[in-house]
Amino acid sequence: MTIMAVADIIGLLKQNPVYKKRVVHIDITESKQPQYGTLAAPLNESICRYLDQRKIHLYSHQCDAINYIREKKHIIITTPTASGKTLAFNIPVFESLAINPKARALYLYPTKALSNDQLATLEQMAHFTGINVKPAIYDGDTPQSKRPAIRENAHIVISNPYELHRVLSWHTKWSEFFSCLQFVVIDEAHRYRGVFGSNVALLIRRLLRLCQYYGSDPQFILSTATLANPLVFAERLTSRSFELVDDDGSPHGKKHFVLYNPFYDGIGERSAHQETKDLLVSCVRGDLQTLCFTGSRKMAELITVWARDDLRHVTSCLVDAIAAYRAGYLLGERRAIEKQLKDGLMKGVVSTNALELGIDIGSLDAVIISGYPGTMMSTCQQAGRAGRKGELSLAILVAQANPLDQYFMHHPDKFFARSYEYAIVDTANPYIVSGHMLCAASELPMNDLTDQKFFGDLYIPLQTELASQNLIRQTGHGWVYAGRGRTADAVHLDGIPGETFRIVCNGRLLETMDRAQAYREAHKGAIMLHQGESYIVKEMDLESHTIRVTETDVDYYTQPLKDVSLAILEVLENCTINGVKCAFGDVEVTEQYTGYKIKRKDTIIGVEVLALPPLIFRTRAFWFVPLENIEHKVTTAGFDFAGGLHGTEHAIIALMPLHVMCDRWDIGGLSSPVYGESGEPTVFIYDAYEGGIGLAEKAFEILPKLFETSYELVRDCLCEEGCPSCIYSPKCGNDNQPLDKQAAELILKDLCESREKKDRTEIWDQCLKSIS
Amino acid sequence: MAAVNAHAGIGALWQQRLEKLQEYEVIRDGNIFRTSFRNSYVFASEYEQARQYLDWLITKYRNVPFTTIFSGNELANEGGVCFSLCSYHPTIVKTIDIERFRSEILTDLTLVLGIGEKIERRLKNRGYQTLYDLLQHQKFRMPARQVIECLTYGNSIDLINLIGRRRSRSHPRVLGTAGFHDPEEYVFLDIETLGLFSRPIILFGVGTIENKRLIVHQYLLRDIDEEQAALIATIEQMSGDHPALITFNGKSFDFPYLQDRLAYYGMNRNSQIPHFDVLQFSRSRWRDEFHSLRLCMLEKEILGINRENDIPGQMVPEFYETYLHTNNCGPLIPIIEHNKQDVVSLALLFFRLLNDYYGCC
Repeated sequence: MTIMAVADIIGLLKQNPVYKKRVVHIDITESKQPQYGTLAAPLNESICRYLDQRKIHLYSHQCDAINYIREKKHIIITTPTASGKTLAFNIPVFESLAINPKARALYLYPTKALSNDQLATLEQMAHFTGINVKPAIYDGDTPQSKRPAIRENAHIVISNPYELHRVLSWHTKWSEFFSCLQFVVIDEAHRYRGVFGSNVALLIRRLLRLCQYYGSDPQFILSTATLANPLVFAERLTSRSFELVDDDGSPHGKKHFVLYNPFYDGIGERSAHQETKDLLVSCVRGDLQTLCFTGSRKMAELITVWARDDLRHVTSCLVDAIAAYRAGYLLGERRAIEKQLKDGLMKGVVSTNALELGIDIGSLDAVIISGYPGTMMSTCQQAGRAGRKGELSLAILVAQANPLDQYFMHHPDKFFARSYEYAIVDTANPYIVSGHMLCAASELPMNDLTDQKFFGDLYIPLQTELASQNLIRQTGHGWVYAGRGRTADAVHLDGIPGETFRIVCNGRLLETMDRAQAYREAHKGAIMLHQGESYIVKEMDLESHTIRVTETDVDYYTQPLKDVSLAILEVLENCTINGVKCAFGDVEVTEQYTGYKIKRKDTIIGVEVLALPPLIFRTRAFWFVPLENIEHKVTTAGFDFAGGLHGTEHAIIALMPLHVMCDRWDIGGLSSPVYGESGEPTVFIYDAYEGGIGLAEKAFEILPKLFETSYELVRDCLCEEGCPSCIYSPKCGNDNQPLDKQAAELILKDLCESREKKDRTEIWDQCLKSIS
Repeated sequence: MAAVNAHAGIGALWQQRLEKLQEYEVIRDGNIFRTSFRNSYVFASEYEQARQYLDWLITKYRNVPFTTIFSGNELANEGGVCFSLCSYHPTIVKTIDIERFRSEILTDLTLVLGIGEKIERRLKNRGYQTLYDLLQHQKFRMPARQVIECLTYGNSIDLINLIGRRRSRSHPRVLGTAGFHDPEEYVFLDIETLGLFSRPIILFGVGTIENKRLIVHQYLLRDIDEEQAALIATIEQMSGDHPALITFNGKSFDFPYLQDRLAYYGMNRNSQIPHFDVLQFSRSRWRDEFHSLRLCMLEKEILGINRENDIPGQMVPEFYETYLHTNNCGPLIPIIEHNKQDVVSLALLFFRLLNDYYGCC
């Protein structure tokens, strides 16, 4: 019946006059038969029974994983969503723990929701197989009273990097666990990239250092989304050599991937959100279980409300079959929705990326992605949710109006041929390494002979630097931490200090959010949506971090207005490159929410002023002032100078990860044709981390190379007016506007002018080498 | 050049970040509502006074050598060396009326598993007055025998655990079990550290009783590398002749901290020792009388001691760091005095409580 339904909807998309015009491309992947594998040795009897009872035959990649793990190899599994990765590593872990009841395993998940899912799976498997692994979650929510028993009894401990970061300084309480640690499972490992990933990589080195002290050498099992560089990534993250398991043996049905452009005519009668809602309603009415991904929490709620409204008029029995699901919901709410999805009662779920992260709800009939999520990695993870075993499935990407999404709509071939992202981890960032060296020294005295290998070439110079500030002191037993505060409190894995605002309705806690989000979504007067219900914010108490809301019933929503400004606090270094003034220093980025728009559907019906304190964030940046004559050159050629500066900023940000080993999301930028008192055109590139984390600093040292490669990127790109491969940014705060490729090319060319001609390919080779 | 300077400033950055992590809060004087919060606080006037005092010390003791200020000895053991100071204090050693205590325990039927206050009342009405009487009771015979065995043959740890489990850990009878030890077996401990956990202990104050006098041994780190020697000196005092540990808030702080530092240097010790935390007993004794149960408050109210030139314990790390950075020994003076007075007050308070509950009049 479902097969018919999916085919019906595809038919509808192809024939309905409204939809037909907007469908710009349908990519079809033919169905694939399952490939089963063989194990080098039979499985433990109870595990066999477990598989038989569930009628599970192991696919080839699952067998590969099990065979490797049995050979004591470290592995990374990169097969797609819903291919049975979890089972592939749970089987050999259970098998080993059954043989050796003293052995322990640590499972790391990036979010609490995922930990809870894994716990349920492990408990079920333990119960059925009778292998007594006593799985337990140990994280910030674990009550103090239960902690000692978990440390002592659990054979599988499920946690997250943040908790591990704190636990390591209490290693004496974990001595039994660490001395018997046999497996470290890192699921959703692709999340650990960029600066966050580099911090996690150092955290893992601290874990390994303690394992060495307690005499264990755990085996790593990584599971990730598809990456361009899985082996290099895994080795950087853990300092071990890996075997790759990527040959997917799981079956899938025929897949349709539709590119859907509400702006096909260049105008777009309605917003992409409204069109997303229409598609969702059509799918649900066509009896497809549908998952819809949106870019923001707010949109998830709005699309839910609108879809329910539509259904109320036509098919009222389906109103309650649509729900929003996003981060910030309380655990009980999320569990209820997940259960209804599994039971088939829920037909449509609108989510932010909380669901992208492999929550176990099985697969659905259709997926609608509202707006390109920024990486191919996420796109594939989200689209991978569509398709029940062996059946027809549908994924739709609904384009937003921004140039990046529009580019893909006009070049479907580029979209489908696009390569996966590199996951970059830098274990030689002195800011990150030094922080973890301080943590390590407070965990155990640091010994040059045994510990240097964990921290690499920076070990000695950073040790000297930290010792010069008396943060560590040499003793007869090694280097001892002697600073004032607790190291684990000073080192943040993701640079986000934990400030939580509580949203309360009549004394009941609705949800929690951080400060930036609260300013954005829960300022006074804001219409907040939660579970499709509207609430109006009555009061925002900044001191007690409490936001009071009451239920309301309005047909409008609110959208905040934000001003971003940047002030130079102190210039630390200056230089001139080809006559262009460049500088590096401390800056302050200020985000001010000045007011909000009141909108009904896509119409603005009012604007209100807000009086919120600015969000101030200090970091380090490099900036440069293009030469005077270039503005003239650009404008006389008939190009847009502001668009050129903006494009220059984007091109440089696009290439920074290649030069300074970070993720694009770790860097921010700002460009202005008239900056500050002097009114000079200026481009700023800054670290997106409070206090800076060495990215702009490192880039400043290689500016000529950065300018040159950025110029080449834009010059050699075959597009005419800019594209995602050159100046379109997936994370632009201004929706990639204005942008002017020709102007950017002229500006960048000028930045490189008068430099000696160098062999271009040589520079490129160096760049590529540095990431692989 | 680049190689030398490449990482300059990173240390300073961390120093700054770590200093920002205030481990205590300076609050308005007399703001007693804030004092009910669990996080550590210092009153604004105390803070100001201490900062001025620090400046004064720095000026006064500039270029004054360590040995001129402190008279003590260098102590050497397998952990290295540290500096040892010793002082004697008159103290009023109280012994308890052990017979009275024993009979009180023997009539506490609730120590037997399965007997609550209600059942105890019923049993007493029926003539079961002591634990020995219960040996005749059909149902409670076996558990009562276990309790009696614990009383007769067990050590004070078993008894502390038994009473703590059946009553509460701060029950006066837990304190009473200290009476099973001679006063010479007590060891009073108070440590000064560079912060809350995972950092060096910089001064160990250890009090013992000899001929009714309190002797306070202090093991000081002249530099961080002397920590292990001082740790070893301390745990040597805490074992053998002095098996009963007495602290103020030591169950939450001093003792786990000490264990953690021992483990840091790879020295694991038995953690099962009889340990009497005076804060716990003070809490159940004086909770309703005083809004604060800090040691310096109790010693003022109960013992009538007024400290001069004292610094808040939370500020010890910054005084010690000033010493480390400047090599000026002045800031060590109030740390050593503070620690010494803590040990003395701890001992006085302990005997005071013991006497209040079980004194031989």
